[in-house]
Amino acid sequence: MAGSAIRRIVIVGGGSAGWMAAAALAAVVRRRVDEIVLVESAQIGTIGVGEATLPTLRAFNATLGLDEVEFIRNTHATFKLGIEFVGWNPERAFFHGFSDFGPAIRGVSPHQAWLRMRAGTDDRSYCDHSIASVAAKLGRFAPPVPNHESVLGSYSYAFQFDAASYAAYLRAFAERRGVQRIEGRIVDVRLRAEDGYIESVVLEEGRSVSGDLFIDCSGFVGLLIERALQAGFEDWSKWLPCDRALAVPCARNGEPTPFTRSTAHRAGWQWRIPLQHRTGNGYVFCSSAISEDEAAGTLLANLDGEALGAPRLLKFTAGRRRECWKRNCVALGLASGFLEPLESTSIHLVESGIGRLVELFPDRGFEPKLAEEYNRLMGRSYESIRDFIILHYWASRREGELWRYCQNMAIPDGLRHQLELFKARGAVALYDSGAFAEPSWISIYFGLGLFPRRHDPMTDMIEQAALQRELERRVRIVTGAAQSLPTHGAFIDRYCQAST
Amino acid sequence: MSGLGQRSPRGLRSLVIVGGGTAGWMAAAALARVLDGSCEITLIESATLGTVGVGEATIPTLPAFHALLGVDEREFLHATGGTFKLGIQFRDWCRVGESFLHPFGPYGVNVKHELFQAYWLRRRQEGHASPLEEWSVTGLAASLGRFGTPQLKDASSPLRQLSYAYHLDATLYARFLRSYAERRGVRRIEGEVVDVSVSPRGLVQWLYLGDGRSIAADFFIDCSGFRSLLIGEVLKTGYVDWSQWLPCDRAVAVQCESAAAPVPVTQSTARECGWQWRIPLQHRVGNGYVYSSAHLSDDQAVVGLLERLEGPRLSEPRLLRFKAGRRASAWVGNCVALGLAAGFLEPLESTSIHLVQTGLARLFALFPDRDYDPVISAEYNRLTAIESERVRDFLIFHYAASQRDDTAFWRHCRALPVPESLAHKRELFSKTGRISVLEHETFEPASWLALFTGMQVWPDRYEPVVDFLGATSPDMRFESMRESIRRAVGTLPTHAAFLNRIVTDR
Repeated sequence: MAGSAIRRIVIVGGGSAGWMAAAALAAVVRRRVDEIVLVESAQIGTIGVGEATLPTLRAFNATLGLDEVEFIRNTHATFKLGIEFVGWNPERAFFHGFSDFGPAIRGVSPHQAWLRMRAGTDDRSYCDHSIASVAAKLGRFAPPVPNHESVLGSYSYAFQFDAASYAAYLRAFAERRGVQRIEGRIVDVRLRAEDGYIESVVLEEGRSVSGDLFIDCSGFVGLLIERALQAGFEDWSKWLPCDRALAVPCARNGEPTPFTRSTAHRAGWQWRIPLQHRTGNGYVFCSSAISEDEAAGTLLANLDGEALGAPRLLKFTAGRRRECWKRNCVALGLASGFLEPLESTSIHLVESGIGRLVELFPDRGFEPKLAEEYNRLMGRSYESIRDFIILHYWASRREGELWRYCQNMAIPDGLRHQLELFKARGAVALYDSGAFAEPSWISIYFGLGLFPRRHDPMTDMIEQAALQRELERRVRIVTGAAQSLPTHGAFIDRYCQAST
Repeated sequence: MSGLGQRSPRGLRSLVIVGGGTAGWMAAAALARVLDGSCEITLIESATLGTVGVGEATIPTLPAFHALLGVDEREFLHATGGTFKLGIQFRDWCRVGESFLHPFGPYGVNVKHELFQAYWLRRRQEGHASPLEEWSVTGLAASLGRFGTPQLKDASSPLRQLSYAYHLDATLYARFLRSYAERRGVRRIEGEVVDVSVSPRGLVQWLYLGDGRSIAADFFIDCSGFRSLLIGEVLKTGYVDWSQWLPCDRAVAVQCESAAAPVPVTQSTARECGWQWRIPLQHRVGNGYVYSSAHLSDDQAVVGLLERLEGPRLSEPRLLRFKAGRRASAWVGNCVALGLAAGFLEPLESTSIHLVQTGLARLFALFPDRDYDPVISAEYNRLTAIESERVRDFLIFHYAASQRDDTAFWRHCRALPVPESLAHKRELFSKTGRISVLEHETFEPASWLALFTGMQVWPDRYEPVVDFLGATSPDMRFESMRESIRRAVGTLPTHAAFLNRIVTDR
């Protein structure tokens, strides 16, 4: 095996995906490869729309051995307990928090108990059972306690950070561990004549960089995976028609919220991601439903602080690369596919792509079975997240051209089955290797005002008054626990304030 | 209102279980426990029909079933003549004269399976082969014939990872569960179902018994065994036939006296035209020969089984005919099938009782009401199908990977194609040393590793994750695991001594 070990890894592109890959590979596989090289061009800007993350990022950072406080200070990060959805349900805003709705009651999910006891038109009191949502709403945060039995140990958290700072921070980390950075713009990709494997990338100045394994983090264009290797793209825009985003930071206004906000607009939705020093904003929209100027106007009119610069336009198509791993090239980040940042999954997909690459790490023989397994696993991840995002559009009752289209579109089979099961019984079929578990699905269904025809009959076996008392007791505990936490701003100021 | 269970307006008022074998009484006991009086439960069984009851070896999910019921382990072992089981020993499967162990539970101590596997394969590729069971507390205890209840207090003890199931007398087990269920209000009716009426909507309405009685219910559970009285005969649910992959279609079973103290291991010995089981109970040993009727006559099978018994036989040989496969739909309308009525997979990995148990768990998770929403049953059927296909693949591999060519039967097995899902798994492992985990696997990668390597499938590569572990070799860490396993197992009594204490202490 040593005889055919990968000697040189070439990472193409230095955005968050590129530097995450460089840092992780430097931390994990560096000893087994001679060199890790990252080629990036200072002229090509990075995208960095994925400024909000999922709790899995903490495991990724832990693998690297990053100190959490140092990481937060360096990336101006804030804590994230979930996402607030505004305008998606015209009746009310709702949260998708990083916690469940409490432990099972006699083996039955608590949302089923809530459904049974739901009085009249109450469509929101279930939120009071989610500690992350309640704390987020109150603007409070502290890390969970290690005791999972305690309500204060039953939630999770992620970060909202400055992606450019994160890339810079990881770059320093990677370079300290021997990753060599090459500045240059790639003008050509050379393939081996005999088998079409990538031999080298050629820089503008004429220099060529060769390697055994290439990691394509070049963004949407897929410089290696698509332009050179033609891995193919599966277009999902019939389900996710938004194809543009305008992004602009604005001045911070008050304490940062411990959550990301997604506000639905006529032709898409707007994100609001609070950092320590500013707030990130963006309007994801469908170009056939609104002009760029009009979208920019909407975006700027909906900032809660002074705009810091002019909105920057991004174009994309929802979908994924048919083969994220082809021959000796693995694509990560936007080069492997694009799903809009509605559930902050971009960075998560980079993490899982890197994790699987490490698990399935090839040697120079590039056994095709490795790529096949990698593509099978990544395909499932992409599809489960895709379905979850589609649900938001399909189930929203907003009016307008885009929304009408989404309400009437044919959805993927797996999602249709999932929806039928929910509508019948409030049940959730879990996707294999899905990023979102039952409480996440329930948060979106209930939040959008979608309730099942029936609740689980198992909950009927619990005596009504006892069940009512139990639900009330839980709400009191959750409320009290959330109120016992410091405010998000106070917590940051005390423990992890960025220096600038 | 009392603490007794109650019912929703559309909730089931009555439920009838047809058949009183292991599956029937497991269902009755679990339903009585969970429904807690909210629904009338009746079980119809015929004393003249007899039960199959060959599923006498189990896997480690059974203790959880007993925990749900609140059954005391000692009482259970006493009532069923049960013994502990730490795994299955497979003899002569790959080649005559070779054997391997499939122990329950993980390898290593508090280490991710992938890492252990990579380390173990690497050591072997470097010329330091070590028996797999030495790395498993369950495996080592099994091969030394030792047993003890896991010590959950000491967090660092490898014994925490000891994972076990039981061998039991299925007839006694059904009797044990019957008494449990009857104490909790399940009504037992002695009788034979001779006719069934179905509503225009396709719902089972009335069961007519041989003595003229008729019984109606909101929901029916078909535990009628191979006959599949409701789901097959009446509701005409098709059968998905897997005999192109699993060629055995008969079994002959007989009980005999034990020649030695009971070991905590089921034995499966490959024979000329199939395989033979040996299940040690406290008071006897259960034996059976599973074979292919295309290659062996019933008489030859009986003779072949009887000549290999270790002690005097205690029963007449009983013949079973079956076809490997599953019902196309285990749940149709107001009827769900459990046990042999839902499908048959030979007892090679002792999954029969487990599949009844998971069927019940799914039924509780998707519990019906009187709307009989087809979406609910469709989800039940989807999950059931995936689960049984995963188990099927695990079983097929025992045959498909055999290198035996001493009989026409084994040459036939070697030539059989395998399902695509299994081919992917096998190829990935043999080419990369990785075990692919598919959706809803019953058997974890640790089990697949035991099977793959037991059948002499050796990758020429290992997953590189072990090479990424730091500059210093992980040898010390792993060697200390092996040592702690050895020491921990050394403190355990023999299985026979432990069992004796448990049964007499009661």
